[in-house]
Amino acid sequence: MKPRIIITDFVASMKGWIRSRGTIFWSIVFPIMLILIFGAIFSGTDNTTYTIYVQDLDESTWSQNYIDTLKNISVLEVENIPQDVSITDYIKEKDLRGALLIPDGFGSKVEQSFLNPNIKANLSFYFDPSDQGSTAVVRSIIGSSLQETNLFLTGGRHVIGMDQVSTITSKFKYIDFFIPGMIGFTIMQICIYGSIERNTKYRKDGILRKLQTTPITRTEWILAKMLFMLFLSFFSTSVAVIVGILAWGVVININIWMIAIIIANSFLFSGLGMLIGRFVKEEETADTAAGAISFPMMFLAGTFFPLQQMPQFLQDFARILPLYYVNEGLRNSMINLDYGKATYYTLIVFVFACVFFIAGVLLTKWKED
Amino acid sequence: MIEKSVQCPKCKTVLVCTGEPGEVVKVKCSSCGMLGKVTFKNFISSDEVAIEVANLKKIYGDLAAVNGISFRVKKGEVFAFLGPNGAGKTTTVEMIESIRVPTAGSIKILGKDIKTSFNEIKEKIGILPQEFHSYERLTVKETLMYFSKLYEKRTDIDQIISMMDLTEHQKMLYRNLSGGLKQRVGVAISLVNDPEIVFLDEPTTGLDPKARREVWDVIAGLKKRRKTVFLTTHYMEEAEHLADHIAVIHKGKIIAEGSLEQLIQKYGMGAVLHIKKCSNSHANEILKERGFSVLSEKNGDISIKIDYKERVLEILAELRHACIEYDSIDIRRSNLEEVFLNLTGARLSEETQ
Repeated sequence: MKPRIIITDFVASMKGWIRSRGTIFWSIVFPIMLILIFGAIFSGTDNTTYTIYVQDLDESTWSQNYIDTLKNISVLEVENIPQDVSITDYIKEKDLRGALLIPDGFGSKVEQSFLNPNIKANLSFYFDPSDQGSTAVVRSIIGSSLQETNLFLTGGRHVIGMDQVSTITSKFKYIDFFIPGMIGFTIMQICIYGSIERNTKYRKDGILRKLQTTPITRTEWILAKMLFMLFLSFFSTSVAVIVGILAWGVVININIWMIAIIIANSFLFSGLGMLIGRFVKEEETADTAAGAISFPMMFLAGTFFPLQQMPQFLQDFARILPLYYVNEGLRNSMINLDYGKATYYTLIVFVFACVFFIAGVLLTKWKED
Repeated sequence: MIEKSVQCPKCKTVLVCTGEPGEVVKVKCSSCGMLGKVTFKNFISSDEVAIEVANLKKIYGDLAAVNGISFRVKKGEVFAFLGPNGAGKTTTVEMIESIRVPTAGSIKILGKDIKTSFNEIKEKIGILPQEFHSYERLTVKETLMYFSKLYEKRTDIDQIISMMDLTEHQKMLYRNLSGGLKQRVGVAISLVNDPEIVFLDEPTTGLDPKARREVWDVIAGLKKRRKTVFLTTHYMEEAEHLADHIAVIHKGKIIAEGSLEQLIQKYGMGAVLHIKKCSNSHANEILKERGFSVLSEKNGDISIKIDYKERVLEILAELRHACIEYDSIDIRRSNLEEVFLNLTGARLSEETQ
């Protein structure tokens, strides 16, 4: 293996990339546009029913009456959280976006508030602020239901209130959720299409035939290209992070898990691109095949919207998509700072990366039949 | 010049004749007058051999794309591998270049077996693959630098640029070059390691006549620099113009091999005299009676095979003696097209369509 040859090919790839407006658009401008647009719009899905998880630690008539009120709201489905678990652990374990806690003493405080207007009975709503979809809707429904209850009890005086408790440690917004997804998606696009270009266009143009008659080996060539893909991956990640920070004040935690996932992500989708390029030899067909694989993955793997907003069968389907694990790994390492989950998702991404990359390398042939 | 003793098959007289390697010489027995041909085999010593191919085969299912071919390419010569599309040219050259794996047979380049020594051989050969397009967004000079850095042995890039007449285009991106210039760059790429052997696979296909001439000039320049050139082509003019040695391949087999002169001598019609508008409708019968080989006669236009150049004067003298007048005469030499037609029953240009 000769580093000189690897560097030569890397430099040639860099020059070609810098001079290609289309490639620069897709690897820099397109992600920036999406970050700016999605950051400005937020998501606004309209589900017909929403599930609210409730933990009743009071078990009084008042708490039961309020739960019944919630159950009577047609768009809400109420699920109980057992009393013997910590609500924050339960939320984490079940990966819930929101839950309502009725604290012990709630009923007695309601009764006391009739005599003393200074006493208020507060509920606690635990939620993920990055989820601007269903959780925001549920929070708004609970708020309305509390207003109606207060109106019914006292003619409008504030008896029952709601404390809002974030389920994540810092104050995050939707854009914080979106940036990691955007990074995962951009790397996927760069690596899949980059690999396909090498394996179909270079084959069509005779470059692969030419290279195999020169001293560069297949391993050196693949390493040079991977080095370039890694450069592009980190470059586009930096662009996404910088734009996120400058435009939306995103708080990003850069750590070893994030870097590991970016590296594994590059290998994973480069391998997938190699496989597509191996079996679909025409350039145009290969591009279509890449689009057919990457485009649905972009929407179904929780890049733009939390998976919990999707029907259960789509959530189950997402769990076979590698991009889902990339997105979750990046979010847990960059935003949630849940390093246990980050490690778990990183390992899964590494397994996917090994399988796809090794298969891609083994099946990428220079020699013709 | 080689001397060879042959025995007349009719009267068993031993005759001594001389000729060049690969030449076919006509002989006449000094005793019985029987006419015959003697072939002088093309003997090359192993030191002079650049490429040696023996019994090479490439089979795809039921199709033998290359069916047991053998040939040798001499150092310093332009070897043209001529045949129509689908004849097996590119399959053969790609097996020699180790791009395709042969089904059977052996290939040696500069005396080394490509199966075991191709990595070593790579440093000594330069290749322009068929329909090659280099990196679109590198300039001409960057392209040459890129390929040059892949080799241990390098040559001065500026010298190659100058030699290939690419100086004024060296800063242009490859994608913006014309077809002829791209092919010139392709040939230049094949020279970055100062190779001993240059493989050019259909280097002028798809080029306009001017660009084709430009590439021919480049190949002629390689020949002057004593490079061995292995040229695959389906253009007979290209082979006629450039090649020292031609192998004609058809349906996976080499059907003829030799220099242009040898091929024409062996498989061509020789020269043909065309006489336009003879005044006497019986002219062809008169000429036939006198022993001339009349090939065709139509509306007073007669074509006669010429075995040797004095034959023309004999025919014209005969016509004058018979008081036959004519409008014009024209002598045409055989070419590779005719050789191919005689060998296969089809025209090369038609098979290539």
